[in-house]
Amino acid sequence: MARLLKKLTVLVLVVVGFSGMMNAANAALAIIGNPANPLEGISAADVAMIYLGKSDEFPDGRRAVAVDQYRHSPVRAEFYRKVVGMGPVRLKSYWSKLIFSGRGEPPRAVGGNEAVKRWVARHPDGIGYVDGKVLDRTVKVLLIVP
Amino acid sequence: MKKWLISAMGVLSILSAGQAFGIEGVRVNGFLTAGATYADTAPCQGDVACTAGPGRGLVSQDGNIANKVGFTNDSRFGLQISAKINSKVDVTGQLLSRAREGNYAMKANWAFVTYHLADPLAIRAGKLKLTTFLISDYLEVGYAYPWIRPPQEVYYSNPISTINGLDMLYRVNFGRFSMLIQPYYGASSGEQALVPQEVIGAVPETVVNPQTGVGSVQPSPPGTVAYTDFTADSMYGINVSGGTNAFTLRAGYLKTLVSAPAFGVSDKTATFSSVGGSMDWENIVLYSEYFQRKIEQGANAAFPDQKGWYATVGYRIGKFLPNVTFAKLEDNNNPVGQGYGTPLAQSSVTGGLRYELGTGADIKFEAEEVKPLDGTRGLLIGPLPAGKSHVMIYSVALDLVF
Repeated sequence: MARLLKKLTVLVLVVVGFSGMMNAANAALAIIGNPANPLEGISAADVAMIYLGKSDEFPDGRRAVAVDQYRHSPVRAEFYRKVVGMGPVRLKSYWSKLIFSGRGEPPRAVGGNEAVKRWVARHPDGIGYVDGKVLDRTVKVLLIVP
Repeated sequence: MKKWLISAMGVLSILSAGQAFGIEGVRVNGFLTAGATYADTAPCQGDVACTAGPGRGLVSQDGNIANKVGFTNDSRFGLQISAKINSKVDVTGQLLSRAREGNYAMKANWAFVTYHLADPLAIRAGKLKLTTFLISDYLEVGYAYPWIRPPQEVYYSNPISTINGLDMLYRVNFGRFSMLIQPYYGASSGEQALVPQEVIGAVPETVVNPQTGVGSVQPSPPGTVAYTDFTADSMYGINVSGGTNAFTLRAGYLKTLVSAPAFGVSDKTATFSSVGGSMDWENIVLYSEYFQRKIEQGANAAFPDQKGWYATVGYRIGKFLPNVTFAKLEDNNNPVGQGYGTPLAQSSVTGGLRYELGTGADIKFEAEEVKPLDGTRGLLIGPLPAGKSHVMIYSVALDLVF
C-alpha cells in the first residue's frame, strides 16, 4: 500500500511538473527541422522565404521542403500572422497568383501538430511549425517564436 | 449561363471524387467567376445609323456588354492540374471555359512541362501564358486582383494570350527582396484578334466577289464585330520583375513578326513594351501600368499603333476594398491615310468595391464611365448618339478560387 502511494505521489508530481512545462511552452510556436539537419537555428525572415515559395533552400544551401498544418488549424493562422506577416485572405490571394501563373504551389498540408512532427521526423530536408507543447526528441527546434 | 454552370458543377463533382482518392503529387486547383453587366447607352440607336443588325443594342466593341443585363462578358471557369513527375520535372495544364465563347467548350488555356535545373533556375516548354502585364499570368483569375476586369485601355492592347515555345525563370533573392528574370521565345498561331471595324472598308481584300474574284471596298457600318486570324512568329522577349511581399515592379519587352492573311499582312515587325508596379502595403492598394505598341506600316491597318496607361488606388477597410481606377488609351503616332489603322482613343473612370466572402471568395461591384475621345468610338462598338459623351457600365461579379 505504501509503495503504491509512493508510486502515485511520483506520478502526480510528474504530471504536475509536465503540465507546468506545457504551460510554459504553450504560448510558444516552434519551427522544427529533422534531427539530421546541421543548422543551429534559422531566422524568421528565412522561414518566411521558404514558406512563400521564394526559396527552396535552408540558409546553408541544403534543400528545404516545407509542410503546412491543415487549413483551419489555429497554429497555422498564428504561424502566418507572426512569422510570415500575412492574414488568411492575403495569403490566399498571394498563392492564387503563383498557382495560376504556374510558378509555384503552397506547402502541402499534412495535418495537425502531431502529423507535422511525424512528417519532419521522417524527412531529413523537412521543415514545419508546431505548438511548443508537442516538442520532443524526434525533431530539432530551429526557432522559437514567442 | 445555365448550361455553363451545369458543366462547371459536373466537373467539380468529378474532382471532389478524385480528391477523395488523394493522388500523391497531383494537385488540382480551380477558379470561377460569375458576372453580370449592364450598360446604360447603346451606340447603335437613335440618330446613329447602325445598319448592321447584330450591332443593335450592343455596347462594347466585342459585343459582350450590351444595353441590357448580360452574363457573357466576365463569366468563366478554369481548372488547373499539376503533377510532379520527379524532383526535377513537373507538368501543369489549365483548362478554361468562357461564357463569351458561345459553345462553353473547355479549351486548353496552357499546358507545359517545367524542368528545375537548379534551385533558382527553371525552364518551361509547351503552351505558355504570354506575360505582358502585371496580371497577364492570371488574367482569368478574378479573385487574384481588385477589379472585375483589368483596365481594358491597357489589357485589350495585346491580342496574344499564349505562345507555343519555351521560357526560363531565374530567381535572385537579396534578403526580403526577390527578383524574377524571364526570357522567352515562341510563336502564336490560331488566335483571333478583334480588328477595328473602320478598317474593313479600307482594305479591298476583305470582300471578294466569288464570281469575279475581284475584291471591292465595302464600307463597314458601325456595329460590326470583326475578328481576324493572325499569327505571331519568331517572338522573343523578356520580363523582369522584382519586389517584396508588399511591392512589385515589372518591365517587359517583346518583338515579333505578325501575319494576318485577311489584311494582306505578312511578317511585319511588331514591338510591345510595358512597365508597371503594384503595392499592397498596410491598407493601401495601388496598381499602375503603361504600354506602347508599334507595328510596321501596313500591319497597323488591323493593329493601329497605340499607347495607354491606368492607375488604381484602393484602401482596405476590414473586408471591404473600395477602389477607383483612371485609364486612358491613346494613339501612338499611327500614320494617317488609306490603309493605315484608325486611332481609337478613350478614357474611363471606374469606382469599384470588393468584399471578401471568407477566404477564397469575393463579390465585386463596379460602375465605369467610358468616354470615347478625339472623335473616335474608343473601345465601343460604334460612335455614341448625338448629345451623349459617355456610357455607364455597371457590373457585378462573384469570384472563387479552390
